Amino acid sequence: MTTFRHWLDRVLRVLCIALFAILVLLVVWQVFTRLVLNAPSAWSEEAARYTFVWVSLLGIAIAVGEKADVVMDFLVEKLPVSLQRVADVLAYLCVLAFVSYVMIYGGFLQVVASWTATNALLPLTAGQLYLVVPIAGIIISFYLILHIVHALSPGYTGREGFTENPEAATA
Amino acid sequence: GEAAGESDEGSGEKRVFKVAFNQNAAHPQAQAILALSDELEAQTDGQYSLELYPDATLGTQEATIEQIQSGTIDFAFVAGSLLESFSSDVAVVNLPYIYESPEHQMEVLNDDAIVGDLYDSLLEDDIKVLAAAHAGVRNMYTDKPIESPDDLAGYKIRVIGSDTNVRMMELMGGSAAPMAMGEVYTAIQSGVIDGAENNEVTYFDVSHYEVAPFYSATKHLMLPDFFIASPKTWDSLDEETRELFEELLDGAVEDVLHNFAVAAEEAQEKAEDGGAEFVDADAEAFREAVLPLHEEVVTTSAMEEIYDAIESARG
Amino acid sequence: MTDPLVLSGILIGGLVLLLALGVPVSIAIGLPSAVCMLLLAGFENGAITSMQQMFRGANTFVLVAVPFFVLAGAIMNTGGIAERLINLARVMVGRTPAGLLHTNVIANAIFGTVSGSAVATAAAVGSTMTPMLKKEGYDPAMSAATNVSAAPSGMLIPPSNTLIIYSLAAGGTSIGALFLAGYIPGILWALGCSAVVFFYARRHPELRGNAFPGWRTAFVVFLRALPSLGLIVVAIGGIIAGFFTPTEGSAIAVVYALVLSMIYRTVRVRDLPGILYDACRTSAIAIFLIAVSSIMGYVMTYARIPQLIAETLFGWTDSKVVVLLIMMVVLLLIGIPLDPTPAILIFVPIFLPIAVSYGIDPVHFGIMMVFNLAIAVISPPSAPVLFVGTQVAKVRLEPVIRRMVPFLVVLVILLFVIVFVPDLSLWLPRLAGLIN
Ligand code: NA
Ligand code: NA
Repeated sequence: MTTFRHWLDRVLRVLCIALFAILVLLVVWQVFTRLVLNAPSAWSEEAARYTFVWVSLLGIAIAVGEKADVVMDFLVEKLPVSLQRVADVLAYLCVLAFVSYVMIYGGFLQVVASWTATNALLPLTAGQLYLVVPIAGIIISFYLILHIVHALSPGYTGREGFTENPEAATA
Repeated sequence: GEAAGESDEGSGEKRVFKVAFNQNAAHPQAQAILALSDELEAQTDGQYSLELYPDATLGTQEATIEQIQSGTIDFAFVAGSLLESFSSDVAVVNLPYIYESPEHQMEVLNDDAIVGDLYDSLLEDDIKVLAAAHAGVRNMYTDKPIESPDDLAGYKIRVIGSDTNVRMMELMGGSAAPMAMGEVYTAIQSGVIDGAENNEVTYFDVSHYEVAPFYSATKHLMLPDFFIASPKTWDSLDEETRELFEELLDGAVEDVLHNFAVAAEEAQEKAEDGGAEFVDADAEAFREAVLPLHEEVVTTSAMEEIYDAIESARG
Repeated sequence: MTDPLVLSGILIGGLVLLLALGVPVSIAIGLPSAVCMLLLAGFENGAITSMQQMFRGANTFVLVAVPFFVLAGAIMNTGGIAERLINLARVMVGRTPAGLLHTNVIANAIFGTVSGSAVATAAAVGSTMTPMLKKEGYDPAMSAATNVSAAPSGMLIPPSNTLIIYSLAAGGTSIGALFLAGYIPGILWALGCSAVVFFYARRHPELRGNAFPGWRTAFVVFLRALPSLGLIVVAIGGIIAGFFTPTEGSAIAVVYALVLSMIYRTVRVRDLPGILYDACRTSAIAIFLIAVSSIMGYVMTYARIPQLIAETLFGWTDSKVVVLLIMMVVLLLIGIPLDPTPAILIFVPIFLPIAVSYGIDPVHFGIMMVFNLAIAVISPPSAPVLFVGTQVAKVRLEPVIRRMVPFLVVLVILLFVIVFVPDLSLWLPRLAGLIN
């Protein structure tokens, strides 16, 4: 489990960085074709938007993995640790419910439904462009299960959502 | 959809169908569909009616098509160009300079003998095409009159994002800059692009006359809109209701044609009051320039058949 | 179960309950919305429609600027560009009490003017100024609160995407008139934020500032900051001059910052992945919130909740003042979970005709509506601007929210001034002859 998590963290990291770099290049290319070549690129904006959605959804998977998503936990913090544990598990289950229903199930249905619908400007089908939704959903679910297992373990010492020092989470 | 389908079929319970629309409720198409709803309600003793969701509140047109396919909404107006994603043959009816008048366009696009097979091919993708509706004649607007292809040299004009539209603009003499409609106003204002192209109604509605005051009658595009239904909804109706609906749609198609002519004239007056100038252009010269595109796009035998039928229906 | 009243209960009750439980804000909005969608459209269609709305919410070119500005800011900080700007700012506003906070407000107004996106502005200004403020000993929570509060001024000062969306929903209200109408309210917004900073400074004498170091030093500092200032000139100047759109300008800013840092040799190639990675995660949280709020917007339209609100709230009164007050309160509350775009598309068609029937000019109504929703984009708990602002400042949410209270109070007071003094909005467009 831990080995797989390390491997997944690395893959996600590399993917995000690569896509983000591509995103910068796409938009710069758009400016270059219009200003320098005087022949505006037709597909770059479309490609940039989809790359952006991919980066954002993989980014939110990373944020969930690192517990960096922002929560308002000033109420839960005041509870005893035993109740914090219950609140934590319930909160993770809520996220899991949303992710499985909308991102995995809904995403899967949408990918299948639009697998052959062509895009006017890109050599990819709508279904392929939507593929990031169920993929991100599955990754998020994996992290959520890890968090739930941790919350139920004896080593649990209370709510640790958005950290006091986010730099620590980055390291 | 299932929301509307709560009632048992044929029990006589009231059903209100959801109609998605991406422009405002005063638009010629919206007005025609509201009139259709009133008529439908009257003729079915209040059993069926339509509820219009204007201003793209149910999502962009792409999202609308997806909801039609899944049956979340019942009916929608969508641009013909978007249907090319499902059947590339649709491209033939979206060609520039293919119709000689709005009447010609409506005649061929609502003729089952010409486009029946094309529309049926979309059923595989859960899209039921009920009617084609006129959506205006698109002309060019920028900071100077555009009378002939030479006038467009070095001009960056916003077009709908598709290979055909990009190629069309190149052949017309300018360069194409596809971008989202909402960004066009500021892009013209700051000079990122030099202009755009659309019908008179939209030209006024989105205030583009304020930043691109010369509207030249290039008459290059007559992109049809299609009134589509979710097959789930359509199949749930009995034969009698479907026939009534189709009959009312014939009237609605006529209404749109008439409403559009009136609305275009009103929009022109209002834009002129706001400082816009409407100028003539050598549409024939542009048409000559764009004709090679017809051959490039019409590649399958199905498209050829439709193309020839449209050509021979010219007055 | 599909009664609009029941659905409203699920949306509001679910949001409150889930927030109390400590569920991320995005899910506290998204889960009840998905449940409503399920009830409205069935199990399969509920899932697929929620997913579609979520995807469309993020699939917007204007939003692409958000990660770019976060990235440009991060490169500038690592690359010593920010440092040079800090020194310049210190020389320029050194003697003003809490001068850097005023600088922050002005930077937001200028930046927001070209970008028009409050989230992108908060990201850009916040990530550039945080190190300056920290170094000069400013309270990080107050710094973040100032940055977040000032960020939406660019939604009013033209050009503004939000006003363009209003124009579309309002059926062709002149964008030119709306743009002119936005100037005074937008500047008032920035002045309001500066006023709060002014009173804050009076209670914090330690922020009195340094003496002017002399013209010679000032000139040297200015020269050293010139290449860094170039970033602002290139990005903002390029947008104004029409070389590129705001989103494209954000990418150009990234490239400029990168090249400059390479010249200063303060950023190494192997530092880049880490910088990209941080920017990606930070912006993703805000984007996800915006994406998910589209599901709620869809549910409200589909279930006709705005009509329910209009029928319930406006039936009993004939008073223009009461109707306007109710509208503003409803929009303030609705705008908290909803992004301005869906909020405008959903509520303009219902509220505008009512407002017009009371003799309110559509241009004036647009300004009050956007001012209102601009407050909502920084109002906790659901505020992408607030999250980006705290993330780039690397501070906790709660203290920032506490510091924002005086800003919010001033802005709400200003909102009612804008609502009841139409001339503040209508004077300029009238002067230009764009409205009667
Ligand atoms: Na602006
Ligand atoms: Na909000």
